[in-house]
Formats: sequence, structure tokens, C-alpha cells
Amino acid sequence: MKKLMEPLLFVNSWRFLMMGAFIHLWVLGDSQISSFILILLLLLMTCLRWRFALPVWFVLVDILICFFYFPYTDIAYYGFALPIFELALKGKCLFSLFLCAGVFFAQASSSFLFWFFFQAFFFGVFSFIFLKNQEMYRVDIDEQRKVRYELERIKIDLLEANQSVSHQAELMERYRIARELHDHLGHDLTGATLALQAYQYVQEPEEAKKILQEVKNRLERSTKSLRETVHNMTPMTRIGVESLESVVRNFQQKDIEFKKSGNMLLVPVHIWSLLESCVKETLTNVAKHSNATKVEVDLQVTESIVRLSIKDNGTAKKLSHTGSGLRSLQMRSRSMGGSLSISHENGFLVVCVIPLDKEMLNR
Amino acid sequence: MTIFKFALKRSFSNTTNIIFLTLFPIACIFLPNGEEWPFLPYGYQYFGLLILFVGIRLATIILEDREKGVVKRLAVAPISHFQYLSQNLLAYSIILILQCIIVVYGGVLLGKELYQPGWLFILYGSFSFASLAIALAWISIYRNKDASFLVYMSLIFIIVVLGGLLIPIEIFPDLLKRVAVIFPTYWLAEGLKWIVFSEEILDFLLINGVLWLYTIVFVIVGSIRKIN
Repeated sequence: MKKLMEPLLFVNSWRFLMMGAFIHLWVLGDSQISSFILILLLLLMTCLRWRFALPVWFVLVDILICFFYFPYTDIAYYGFALPIFELALKGKCLFSLFLCAGVFFAQASSSFLFWFFFQAFFFGVFSFIFLKNQEMYRVDIDEQRKVRYELERIKIDLLEANQSVSHQAELMERYRIARELHDHLGHDLTGATLALQAYQYVQEPEEAKKILQEVKNRLERSTKSLRETVHNMTPMTRIGVESLESVVRNFQQKDIEFKKSGNMLLVPVHIWSLLESCVKETLTNVAKHSNATKVEVDLQVTESIVRLSIKDNGTAKKLSHTGSGLRSLQMRSRSMGGSLSISHENGFLVVCVIPLDKEMLNR
Repeated sequence: MTIFKFALKRSFSNTTNIIFLTLFPIACIFLPNGEEWPFLPYGYQYFGLLILFVGIRLATIILEDREKGVVKRLAVAPISHFQYLSQNLLAYSIILILQCIIVVYGGVLLGKELYQPGWLFILYGSFSFASLAIALAWISIYRNKDASFLVYMSLIFIIVVLGGLLIPIEIFPDLLKRVAVIFPTYWLAEGLKWIVFSEEILDFLLINGVLWLYTIVFVIVGSIRKIN
């Protein structure tokens, strides 16, 4: 958004305009040297206020200067517009009004002076309210920004925690498989191996036959146990590329072409969950906003990255903003060290690239 | 005082500056006397004009610093803007005061009729500070050195003419006579008149006081730090 001019600029402009007004009064009026020095002194005070944030009691100096010049020139009365304005600007409206009334009655009440003071008071109060509001908005915006940053940090923490949990779960699963294999297969296979070694040294045919039968039994039991273990460990829900295929298959609104290449086993679980969300969100967006007839989903896995691209042949115009779903996915991709980019040229295109952590894969 | 030393050295770093700072003041001494006006020799009447030129010439060194990004580098150096500005201004003031000494006491040595050389030196001193302050305020609104210098030159001619330094103020119409008071050059011309006719000392103090007020106002305006 284009930045507008600061309100303080107008406050300073008013102050210097007053100087112009005094010089005008001076040229038209008595043009005495002493009155000119009064204007110079007031100009000095104005410059000081322009450069430094002076405390409110500094208006006493202006009042004293003007008061001192009362007997010599009428400009001194007009000069009181400055302290009236400064007091109102600092929120001391009552003092300002009091000063206004005091000087006005002391000068045998000219109507021009009344309007002169009135505009100074009015602009002072207006500037005070404006600056106060600006300050309040600034504090409010700062707080909101702080909360938003905190929220984003928490989101990133949660995403990292999710990644860590999935990694822990994978390790636990590996440990469970190792235990199952050891408990159910290991004993029988070791027994069978020992029995076969013993079989080489047995002389009696009856004894040899008995050992062979034992080996056979053990191997049969091992095969059965292996089958049961594999069966028990196979998940009922679809995971990995299957889940992606299932999402694509169930999307009936458009014609979808799904292509995949590379070793899908290299992709860890938490990345699959992101890719699945990506496909779901993009296809929903296509169904909602695009006039496309065909969608291409392309998944490529290499040793170092996973790249998912979803492209349609629609001609719909670009939306004015990215939806919260895609924004959240962008953030999740970033937290995994990857990126998600969106393009609206030649149809809607979403490309998600996530690097594969080789160290984690080797663990 | 490193900045002070460098400001002094840089002030004499090119030929134009050397001419401005040394030859022109000396040339002022040798200018002839006027017939009816000015009351002092021409060189002394027009020395105010030279002071204004020298003021902007010296102050543009600060603008040059801003252009070259030196001010930006100083902003991160362990030196405050106040130190930078005060040391520069001190160096320039010393140069201007030396010029005033050369012009006034050179004239005395050559036997010029200067009436009250001591007061004349004080008047030139006050006007030098005012000139430097005005130049400082002027460059604070510019980014380009050449543009600021050229526009200021034309401005100098206007204020010198309207202030009554080149032409006697008595021939002006009434309105211009009143407006002339606004310009610092008017106060210099008044001061020169006072030196010749030597009226009340209070008048002279008032003239110097006004010049000092100008100095303070313009230093406040010009002391603003502009990094870009």
C-alpha cells in the first residue's frame, strides 16, 4: 500500500505557516525592528520543536516571550496562537482554552483574534486526537504482529514435532519387526540349521530319518510363522503412494492422469502425509475454481528429492489471494526444507519439492 | 579532532577553494573607495557577498560526504552526528574568521579608512556564522552538490540586492524596504552603516544579536541528519 504523508508533517507545516502569517502581519502592520525580533524568537522556538520533542512546559518560554512584547506590538497577541496550539497538541485542552480566553479578553476582544485562536485550538485538538489514534493503532498492530509471529513459531514447532514423532514411530516399528522375526522365526531356523549339521554325522538310518522330519517340521513352522508375522504387520489403511492413488481414483469430477517414477520406498511417512494433503487441496481447488477438463498429477522420486506436480488445463483467472489451505501447505513444505510454488500461467500449476534427508534414511 | 583536521585539509583541497579562501579576501582589500555610497570601500561592502559564497563552498563538503555515502559509514562508526557536524563547522568557522582577520587588519595595515576595525571584525564574524548556518540549512534540503550550489548562487544575488548590500536600501519602494529586514544581508548593511556613523552601541548589539538568532535558527534547521 502506498504510504501516505505523516500527520506530523502537517503539524510542522502549520507551525511554519504561522511564522509566515506573523511576517505577513508584520509587513502590513508596524514593521518595527523589535516586532521582527519577536518573530525571530518564535521562529527559533518553532525550529526547536520541529527538530526535538520538547516537553510541554516549554510553552512557558513562548508565553513569556509574547508576554514581554505585549506593550510593544500587536503581533505578540497573535503569537499566543503558538502556545495555544502546543498545549492542545499535548492534550492540555483546558490550559489551552484558559490561555485562549485570558489573552482574548486582555486584548479587548477583536473578532479576528478570536478566530485566529480558535483555529489554533481546533487544529491542536485535531492533531492531538489524530496522533493519539495513530499511536494506538501502532501499538495494536505491533501486538497483533507479535501474536502472529508467535503463532507461526508454534506451527513450525508442531510440524517439527510431527516429523520427529513419525521418525520415532518408524524406529519403533523397525524394532517391533526385528523382535517378531527373532521370536518367531529365529528359534526354528536356528534349530533347523543345527539339526541339519547333526544329520551329517548320524550313522543310523532311523535316527537320520527322525532328524530330517524334525527339520521339515521346523521349516514348515517357520514358513507359517513368517506368513503370520507379515500378515499381522501389514497395515489395513493405505499408506505411501497407494494413498495418493486412492485419492486420485476417488476424484470423479475431472479426468485425472497419474504418473509416478522412482523408488517410492525412499519417501518417509511424514512426507507422504504432506503429499497427500497437497493432492487433496489442489484437486479441491481445481474442482471449485477451475474450468479445467483434465488434470495431470506427476510424482517423481529421486535419491535426493521428491517432486510432485499437479497441473490442469483450465483458463480461469488468477484469484486475488492464495487460500489458507495452500498457504498452510507452503509453510509445512518450508518446515521440511522444501518449497511449494503456485503458478496461474497456462492453467493452474502446483509444484511441491521436498528434499530427502539421506542421513535419516540411513539411520 | 580527526574530523576537524580533515575538514581543514579538505577545505583547501582544490584550486577553486584556494582562490575563494585566500585570493578573493586579499583582493577585497585593494578595491577602491566609493564616492557617496558605499560608505566603506567597495571591497568591505561586498565582502558580505564573498562570505556567503565561501559559506556555501565550505558547506557543500558536508553535502559531498552525504553523496559519497561517508555520512552513512559514519552512522555506524563510533562517532556521533553532533561530533561530526560540530568539528566540521568549527573548521569552517576558523577559516571564515581568518578571512575576516585578513580583510580587516590587512586593510588597517594598508591604511584604509575603516573607522572602527574592531567592531567591523566582530560584525563580519557574526555574519560569517550566520552565512555558514544558512548554507548548512540550504544543503540539508538538497542531495546534489552542483544543483544546491547553483541555486544558492542565484539566491545569494537576490538576498544581497534586496538586503541592501549591493544597492542602497533608501532607493527601494516602501514595501521592499520593509521586506528587506527579513534578510540577514540587511543586518550586515545596517552594521556597516553603524560602523561608519557610530551611533548607539545598543544598536550594534541588536544587529549582532539578530545575526546570532539567524545563526541559531539555521543551525537547528541544518543540523538534521540525512543519511540518503
